[in-house]
Amino acid sequence: MRFRFPQFKFIRGLAFRYSLFFLVAIMIILFFPLVIGYGFSSILLLEKAKNEATILTKQTVAQFENVLQPTELVPQTLVQAMENPNISYAEVLRIARDFIIHDPYVFGTCLAFEPYLFNRDQYWYAPYAFEKNGKLQIRVLGSGEYDYFKMDWYRLPKLLNKPVWTEPYYDEGGGDTLMCTYSTPIYRKINGQRTFTGVLTMDVSLSGFAHIVNSINIFKTGYGFLVSRQGKIITSPKTVMNNLNIIDLAIAGRGIKTQIAIRQMLKGKSEIKDMDGIESKKNPSFLSFAPVSNTGWSFGIVFPKEELFDDLYTFLKFMSWMFGISILVLLVTTIFITRRMTRPIVRLVETTHKIGQGDFNAKLPIRKSRDEVAQLTRAFGVMQDELRSYIHNLEETTTAKEKIESELQVAHNIQMGMLPRGFKTPENWDLFATLDPAKAVGGDLYDFFYLDDDHLCIAIGDVAGKGVPASLFMMVTRTLLRAKATAKLPLNQLMSSLNDELCKENPNEMFVTFFAGIVDLTSGVMEFCNAGHNYPYILHENGKLDQLKIRNGLPLGIFANSTYTTTTYSFNPCEILVMTTDGITDALNMANNFFGEAHLASFLTSLAKKDTKSLTELLIAEVKRFSTGTEQADDITILALQYKDLLRKTNQPMQTYHLTLLNQVTELESLEAKIEELAELWQIPAKVVMEINLVLEELFTNMVFYGYNDHEPHLIKIEFHFIDEHQIQLRLEDDGKPFNLLEKNTGNVIDQPLSERQIGGLGIHFVKEMMNKIEYQRLGNNNIILLTKIF
Amino acid sequence: MELFEEKTDKCVVVGISGRLDTTNYSVLEKRLMDLIDNRHDRIMVECSRMDYVSSSGLRILLMALKKISLAKGKFVLCGLQENIREIFEISGFTSIFEIYHDKEEAYKVF
Repeated sequence: MRFRFPQFKFIRGLAFRYSLFFLVAIMIILFFPLVIGYGFSSILLLEKAKNEATILTKQTVAQFENVLQPTELVPQTLVQAMENPNISYAEVLRIARDFIIHDPYVFGTCLAFEPYLFNRDQYWYAPYAFEKNGKLQIRVLGSGEYDYFKMDWYRLPKLLNKPVWTEPYYDEGGGDTLMCTYSTPIYRKINGQRTFTGVLTMDVSLSGFAHIVNSINIFKTGYGFLVSRQGKIITSPKTVMNNLNIIDLAIAGRGIKTQIAIRQMLKGKSEIKDMDGIESKKNPSFLSFAPVSNTGWSFGIVFPKEELFDDLYTFLKFMSWMFGISILVLLVTTIFITRRMTRPIVRLVETTHKIGQGDFNAKLPIRKSRDEVAQLTRAFGVMQDELRSYIHNLEETTTAKEKIESELQVAHNIQMGMLPRGFKTPENWDLFATLDPAKAVGGDLYDFFYLDDDHLCIAIGDVAGKGVPASLFMMVTRTLLRAKATAKLPLNQLMSSLNDELCKENPNEMFVTFFAGIVDLTSGVMEFCNAGHNYPYILHENGKLDQLKIRNGLPLGIFANSTYTTTTYSFNPCEILVMTTDGITDALNMANNFFGEAHLASFLTSLAKKDTKSLTELLIAEVKRFSTGTEQADDITILALQYKDLLRKTNQPMQTYHLTLLNQVTELESLEAKIEELAELWQIPAKVVMEINLVLEELFTNMVFYGYNDHEPHLIKIEFHFIDEHQIQLRLEDDGKPFNLLEKNTGNVIDQPLSERQIGGLGIHFVKEMMNKIEYQRLGNNNIILLTKIF
Repeated sequence: MELFEEKTDKCVVVGISGRLDTTNYSVLEKRLMDLIDNRHDRIMVECSRMDYVSSSGLRILLMALKKISLAKGKFVLCGLQENIREIFEISGFTSIFEIYHDKEEAYKVF
């Protein structure tokens, strides 16, 4: 089962991805207007705030001027009037008193005279009327402690010859309050000359201005303040600022921008300036200021910059929330919509899974609309129907096929059962055969069986065609071969008779290429007949490869009464006869190349020294390797037969000496000399030397006297193998009559009484008694005796 | 092979020295047959210097034994070397021939 992540299914779904895509797009689109809007808003807000501040400044200044105008106008008028000598001072004083009673800001007035001018006896004369607790009080100023001639309000108008606003001061002698005095010089004609006679003052309470200034309300913490010409702070809602000088404040580390702004303000300019703050060091603010006419005062409004944008920030916060909520709503909406749209696809997927698991009747979701999903669903429906009927057909054909296949399997078992295996050959023969059918049953065949104790019949064949017909024909051929072989006919007659039988009942004109051989197991001679079959190979021990390129007649089953010849081949020791069918050479690989005769030949060469079983298996493996990825097109059959040389030693001698003798008794001297020579060389004990001497003499003389039918000279070969210091092997080879000394019964030679005693057989008896191992082989026309002596 | 012959009043002593094999057995054969043909039926074969014998040589000894036995004579062997004695044992000749350790011992039976 496939592992799924149900919790992440939603995230991987179309709905989520599309929604996310839309949202990102919308956010990108909306981001730019938002940023630009923010920039514009800031600029507009700044302009608006500046205008507002400027207007408020001017309005407040106008308010001050409204208050101060009568305060200036009334004394000016009175002083003008006093130029006329007919107007009495008392009259002026009375009008001034009336004025202060009616004016809310002016609380005192004083008419101060030059020394001795009003009264010849009085140095100081300055009647002062003032309001206190709503009542008018009169006091005459001027004394040793209060010498008003030294006061600014008196001194300055006299010096400047014009009305003057004094700096704010706290007058304890007069009004006992923080105030400003408007002081106007008085001139009269004395002795025809316009002479300064004193001043008329109007005391203005600054508490009234504080009220106006304190009522200034701009932004959250914005405030106003009033400063004098000298920079003294007349009034401000900030208590820390009161009674201080604005210049001191500006200089006290408030930053250059603040200093510039204050300088401009005290010069009487009307502006709005950017600065670092006044009452605290780091509070970037705007300062709007304007002069109050005549007084030399200046009014300023301060408001922190950040408050200017407070509203903007609030708005922005609100907008962000709105934006976020909208995005969320949009996300939910798009997910909802896309899920609705993809739901049919999801259902279709579920159904497809069911179909995939084999439920062909799974209901497809019903779609009435004509959109793409509906079309897909309908197409799926059609596919489902076709799949259902296809599977149904497949089941039927499979059942039928399985039946045939099981029958074919039985046929295959029968066919394979007919082929012999596990064959018991004589010691010096080695035989192995295999048949690998292309389909369950095939048209190849091989066979081998004993005709009698000494004769082995081997056969290989290939029926033209494949499958059941070929296999039937093959079985017929094989059965006929066995049947005919019992008649012990010569091979060529056997073949003719086989051919005639196969031709008789052969409506389909089938034929079989066939190679049959009869091997004389003793002599190693094979008589064979090749009826159109592949040429067999002869593989020599040294890897040399020959082919028996002989045709002895047509393939079997073509023409009745065809004649067949036979050929004889005499095996040499260690040779392997390899017979194959064209299933090997015709094997194809992926690139459509044949395995081919050359490949077979070269591969066989590499198999020299193998036994028949491994040779066969390696060759089959090579063909399989070659044709990897392709279907085996034809049966592959191999039959290999080896004529072994049993006496060939597996353990190689350390030294070997050869001696070749003529079949004459006189040669015994050479034999003796050789034995003596080797005995010394190999340090053989005297007793063993004598035994070897005796055994060889016996066998040699035996051959000389009884070994040959003719009187021709023959060669007897003797090999001396020094295996190790305790083992010697002697090999005798002659081309005389077959003589297997192992078969000679010498058991009773020595038990005979004297009269019956024969000397014959005693030599063989010596051999058997003195040697540890005796082996004999008739190889071709030669007797080979191998003796082993262990000491 | 060399042969030595010594005629005493009791018997004829034939000494064999060297190899007795297929190449020279006929020499021994002729000597022994001559003696038997000349009515010498008491023969002692002294083998102390014979160091090799093959079945061809044994055949001559067997032949001589058979002939002398028929003539009721006496044919004995003596002085066999160890190796030669083994060959006699293998061939079963020790049960057929009268074999003595040395010449002195053999004399006593005549």
